[in-house]
Amino acid sequence: MADAISTLRGSHGPQRHHVLTADFGTPNLQKLDVYRRCGGYRSLEKALKAMAPEEVHAEVKASGLRGRGGAGFPTGTKWGFVPKDVPGPRYVVVNADESEPGTSKDRYLMENSPHMVLEGALIAAYAVGAHQAWIYIRGEYDRPHRLLTDAIAELREDRILGPKPFGKDYSLDIQMYRGHGAYICGEETALLESLEGKRAQPRSRPPFPAVKGAWGRPTLLNNVETLANLPWIVAHGGAEYAKFGRERSRGTRLLSVSGNVQRPGVYEIELGVSFRHVIMELADGPPPGRRVKVFWPGGSSAQVLPESMLDLSTDLDEIARAGSMAGSGGVIVMDDAHCVVKAAYRLLRFYAHESCGKCTPCRTGGDWAVRTYERILSGEGSAVDLQILDRIQESVQHGRCLCALGDSAGQVIASTMQHFHDEYEEHALRGECSAEVPRSVEKPPEPARPRRGERAP
Amino acid sequence: MALSAHAVDEIKSLPPRFPELRSAVIPALDIAQEELGYLTSDAMSEVAELLQVDPGYVEGVATFYSLFHLEPTGSHHFYVCTNLSCTLRGAVEICDHIKRRIGVEDFKEVSADGLFSVEEVECLGACEYAPMMRYQQSFHYDLTPDKVDTLIDAARRGTSKDPHAHG
Repeated sequence: MADAISTLRGSHGPQRHHVLTADFGTPNLQKLDVYRRCGGYRSLEKALKAMAPEEVHAEVKASGLRGRGGAGFPTGTKWGFVPKDVPGPRYVVVNADESEPGTSKDRYLMENSPHMVLEGALIAAYAVGAHQAWIYIRGEYDRPHRLLTDAIAELREDRILGPKPFGKDYSLDIQMYRGHGAYICGEETALLESLEGKRAQPRSRPPFPAVKGAWGRPTLLNNVETLANLPWIVAHGGAEYAKFGRERSRGTRLLSVSGNVQRPGVYEIELGVSFRHVIMELADGPPPGRRVKVFWPGGSSAQVLPESMLDLSTDLDEIARAGSMAGSGGVIVMDDAHCVVKAAYRLLRFYAHESCGKCTPCRTGGDWAVRTYERILSGEGSAVDLQILDRIQESVQHGRCLCALGDSAGQVIASTMQHFHDEYEEHALRGECSAEVPRSVEKPPEPARPRRGERAP
Repeated sequence: MALSAHAVDEIKSLPPRFPELRSAVIPALDIAQEELGYLTSDAMSEVAELLQVDPGYVEGVATFYSLFHLEPTGSHHFYVCTNLSCTLRGAVEICDHIKRRIGVEDFKEVSADGLFSVEEVECLGACEYAPMMRYQQSFHYDLTPDKVDTLIDAARRGTSKDPHAHG
């Protein structure tokens, strides 16, 4: 049941900086005719009929667009890695395996404007010389899968997919592929293994997917949101896009804001606004009487930042300089009624469960960390357990694992221990928790005050 | 033979869609599970035979992905997200409530009447609607014990269509 209201918790509509979400909320935007009335597929038509692939590539380079999946790698540079002179098939693969905890923006895009995602994928295919795109979508995304499948059928019927889209002698096709429940598939080489029908275990690189990707062929892998920017960039030019944002963080991006805020949602922001703006204004901050204790700026894998860092910019490099990462744009907010050690334990259970098992530090480190957290949280902990956690986080980071999953787990441990060491000590040495306010107890909100382990703002 | 003629035909039609045969394994297992409710070892062997791949390979794939069930589930299976964003907004309490209402102690245990089971799953990517779950190929948002009760009661009456289903 398409419920226009419930797909739109966040920001949308015509605003100066709304590149992606300007038309969201238009009734039946998911349908091809409505999308085209809003200007849809004019960019694909323009690219095919009036631009050489190199010109499309040049606009993307000029836009300064960086990948929105997590790594923030410059999109134009990535496109350049796909070799031009290799005969035979090549592919565009859309990474729609969104599963970084706290991240829901790709779902938001696919549910509100599936055709925008498809148009972006087709523009990318033309630019890198591919005729076939695959959308690898996580199996739990039933509704986005249905909407994209219907949208692809509409494109076939309208011959936008087929041998001659818009009369241009350049065949285009898109196929869907459903994942079946594995966080690791968001990692691009694991995704390719899964697309090839295997257990999704990351490959060692090189060779990189651009050279040897899906079924051994040159493959461009881009995230849903990255591709969704392309219709706008082709329509208005890369230079116009680059007017949004700052420094090396150009354009706008979607932030999924969740956790202890009064207006959780997916918000399109111009890069460079502060997290205070995002969390306290757009998402309306924590419930009355509560304060932000900690936030994850870019999905659960990003290092936590304490309340004192709220004025940090959303600029990707600024976040990196502050010791965390912009990641997937999943902003998770936790207020002062919650315990950091328990939150870290929750996330470590996740990373341990989702470890693919291929490399040893990640496979054993995750389980080891979970057992250590369980000892600490059950009041059986000791100072040794804190040393163990520290050893584990060191052992799974800094390139010791095949992919970033190990680093992610390690970053959760390291950053929570760094900012909230006294909360860890309280649990491990004394078996106490002064942080948590039990949910079942109907306690009136307390006046705002600094808590243990929290730096004064 | 575990699978119907229809499922067999569907599985046999898969390989030409892909550049390589093995890409058909996951969609084929999906068809088998859709029909049987879970993947029996007979079903996995049959998929292997139909696609001409090693049975051990098929089982290796099936055991890797959490959406493949190797044990029976209830006919109404709740996938409740308990990752951080949902836990911060009461997902654990929702799970406890579901378990109490359907009469099970643990995740993945099937209720005595065979109707229900509940599984704790990782982030489902709808964090702005936390706590949330996936049920009957739809997402259900802003869960409360009352909303969950409505679904469970409807399932018991045999009218599982939920007016609030998102999808």
